[in-house]
Amino acid sequence: MQFPFHKYGLTFRLVEESDAQFILSLRTNKERARYLSATDDDLQKQTEWIKAYKQRENERKEYYVLFEDDNQQPLGVFRLYDITAESFTSGSWLIKPGCDEFVGLKSDLFVGFLAKEVLKLGDWFFDVRKNNKKVLRYHKMFAKVINEDELNVYFAMDRAAYEKKSSFLTSIIQPDIY
Amino acid sequence: MNIEKFVREFADQYDDISTENFTAETKFKENDEWSSMTALSVIAMVDESYSVRLTGDDVRKSTTIQDIYDIVSLKVNG
Repeated sequence: MQFPFHKYGLTFRLVEESDAQFILSLRTNKERARYLSATDDDLQKQTEWIKAYKQRENERKEYYVLFEDDNQQPLGVFRLYDITAESFTSGSWLIKPGCDEFVGLKSDLFVGFLAKEVLKLGDWFFDVRKNNKKVLRYHKMFAKVINEDELNVYFAMDRAAYEKKSSFLTSIIQPDIY
Repeated sequence: MNIEKFVREFADQYDDISTENFTAETKFKENDEWSSMTALSVIAMVDESYSVRLTGDDVRKSTTIQDIYDIVSLKVNG
């Protein structure tokens, strides 16, 4: 694995136990984490969670990625999980308040790059909370809705959809690419 | 293009705050809802409604809805 990656003016690296405080600050931010499952405000628990995750990372079952700016200040995280021979899921996407408005877009672009071009993973599945309206609108531009229940809308994205999305996002951040 | 229609379309990208008072001179980043997702929603709306691709720089250098409207107008007519 070639971590860290330097793309779109950001550095992407795997999460370590020492990132527990930063992740906890994101996951316990009521505004930022309102569309994710609840997390206890407990640093020890978060550290233990990351320790257990590192085992799954070693087995190539999961990748928890942190992205940071030029000054090595952490900006956000995302996770690839439920990785099988045929498919994977992305989620746990959180960004620190006050970031440049295109950090989110760049990190989402990197999710696709990592999953499809580096790890060569299969079909992409993910879910979005029904009340997360903007993110729903965004994903409906590219991904196919395959199911929904009271809480979530479930999406799938094949290779063609991924390429369309990458092309769209890249055209937006083109001046920032280096 | 029509600025009043554009302001309404722009305002529709906000889900959580009141946009009744949005005008062409509204500083669209100066509210609690502005985020990367709002920026993307605006870019997607412009792409769909005007067949124009805004860049991150276009949004970054803009302050008011009028600024975005002017950029879109230039690209539509360019």
